[in-house]
Amino acid sequence: MNTTLNINRLGLLLKRYFLENKQRELTFWGITMVVFTLMHLAGAQDKFISVEIYLFISGFIFAAGTFKAFNFTPSGMHYLLIPATHLEKLVTAIILSTFYFFVCTLITYTIGTALGTTIGNIFLDMHNPIQFTLFQSTPDFIVNGHSIHKAGNALLNTFIGFAGVQSVFMLGSTHFKGNAVGKTMLAVIAVSIVLGIIELFLLKATFGTYHLDGQMLNFSITQNQNMFTGLETAGTIFKYALIPFFWVVTYFRLTEKEV
Amino acid sequence: MVNVQNVTFSYTKRAELLSNLSLALETGRIHGLLGKNGEGKSTLLKLISGLDFPKSGSIETMGFNPIKRNPDMLQEIFFLPEELPQLTLSIANYENVYAPFYPNFSTEQFNAYLKEFDITDKTLKLNKLSHGQKKKVFIAFGLATNTKLLLMDEPTNGLDIPSKGQFRRMVASAIDENRCLLISTHQVHDLDSLIDSIIVMEKHEIVFNQPIENITKKLFFRVADRNEKDENVIYSEDTLRGLYQVCENTTGEESKLDIELLFNAILTEKNKIVKLF
Repeated sequence: MNTTLNINRLGLLLKRYFLENKQRELTFWGITMVVFTLMHLAGAQDKFISVEIYLFISGFIFAAGTFKAFNFTPSGMHYLLIPATHLEKLVTAIILSTFYFFVCTLITYTIGTALGTTIGNIFLDMHNPIQFTLFQSTPDFIVNGHSIHKAGNALLNTFIGFAGVQSVFMLGSTHFKGNAVGKTMLAVIAVSIVLGIIELFLLKATFGTYHLDGQMLNFSITQNQNMFTGLETAGTIFKYALIPFFWVVTYFRLTEKEV
Repeated sequence: MVNVQNVTFSYTKRAELLSNLSLALETGRIHGLLGKNGEGKSTLLKLISGLDFPKSGSIETMGFNPIKRNPDMLQEIFFLPEELPQLTLSIANYENVYAPFYPNFSTEQFNAYLKEFDITDKTLKLNKLSHGQKKKVFIAFGLATNTKLLLMDEPTNGLDIPSKGQFRRMVASAIDENRCLLISTHQVHDLDSLIDSIIVMEKHEIVFNQPIENITKKLFFRVADRNEKDENVIYSEDTLRGLYQVCENTTGEESKLDIELLFNAILTEKNKIVKLF
C-alpha cells in the first residue's frame, strides 16, 4: 500500500469534508454570493479592493479553521486516527483552504457581479456594463521607468497573496488550540513589528537615518539595473517560497501533533 | 500484537504519568485495563495508538512504531474514546465517509450491531443523539471495522443497563484469535465474564497482568462466615452478605473471579498477590 500519498484516500478525505460540512458550505457560499450581488448593484467600478478584502478576511477565517478538530480533544483524536497519511491530510487541507476556496470565491464573484449589475440596471435604473474588475489588470507601478507591478498578473498576484495568507493561518490552526484566528493574527503582528524594528536598524546602519522621507524614489537605479533585477528576482523567489515553507512547517506540526 | 517497553510519559515536566511501564498484549484476548482515576489508563491507550508520544522507551503496535501513524497501522486500529467527537453527520453518512478507510469493514455486521442496540434509523444525526446512543453507534462501527486492535476507553459509560449486556454479548461474539481488545474501565462489573486477562495500573505502572485462568488457579474467591478463620486469606471485605475474601488457592479448586474484589486486593495487598504469580 502507498503510505505517502494515495489518491483514493485523498478523495475519501475530501468526500469526508464535504459530507461533514455540506450545510455550512452551502450557507457560506450563498451568503458570499448575496454579498457580491449587493456590492455590485451600483456597478463594478472600484469594487476590486472590497472584493479582495472580503476574499482575504473570509479566507483566513476559513484557513484558521482547517484543523479545528484539534480544539476539542476527542475530535482531534478522531481526526488523527483516520487511516490516512499526514501528507494526505495536509494536501486535503491545502486543496480546500487555498484552491477550492479561491475558485469558489471567483465563481460566486462572477455570478454575484453579473447578477448585481443586472439587477441594478433593471431595478435601480442604472446603465452599468458587467465588469469583472478582479480579473482585470492593474496599471503598472513605475519607479524610475522600471515596472514594479506587472500588468496582466493581477489575478495571479491576488492568488499568491491569498495563498500566502492561507498558509500562515493554516499553520496557526495546527499550532494554536482555540481561537486560531486571533492568536495567528497576534503572532503575525508581533513578527511584523520585529521585522519592522530590524528594518529600521538596517536603515540606520546603511543610510544613517531612520526615515528616508520618500528619497528611495529618487535613487538612480539606471546604472544599477542588474542589482535591481537581482533584488526583484530574490523578492519574487522569497514571495513564492514562503507559501511552501509554511506548508512544510504545517506538515511537521501535524506529524508531531499529540492530543 | 502490542509491545510496550520501559515507557515513560508525562504531560508536564514535573510529574511523570507513566514511569518505566512495560506491557505485552496478545491476540485472541480481551484485556481489561483497571486502575484508579489519573493512573494513566487513557494515556496508555493513546500511546499505543500513536496519539501521544512516549518520552522514553519504545512501543510496537502490530509491528509499527505508532508515532508514525502509518495508515497501514491505523486501518487496523479502532479507538473508542471516553468522550466522543462532535460530528454533524447522519449514521449512514458516517458509515459512508469512514467505512472505506477500513478494508475489513462489514456493513452487514454494522447493521446487525445497530439493530441489537435498537438503533434502526440510520438517517439520525450523530449530534442529535444522546451520549449513550452515540456511544452505541461508535461501538457498533468499531466492532464492524474488524480491525485487529480495538481500544476502548470506558465503553460502558453512558450505556443503560440492557445495553451493557448487549455490549458484552457483541464484544464476546466479535473477538476471534486474530483480534485483540483492550478495555480500560472503572466499572469492573460491566466486564464480568467478558475479559480474559486483567491488567492493573497503580502508581503509574503496571502492577498486575495475568490471564483469568492463571488468576483462578492461584487465587480463590469466596464469601466466608465472619467467625471463620483461614490463614490463606490475603484480603477480605466486610459486607452485609458476609466476608468477601481473596485467598491463596491451595487446593486447585476453581472459583468465580470477582474482578472488583481482586482489584481492591491488588491495591491493598499488592506484594502478597504479586508474589503468587
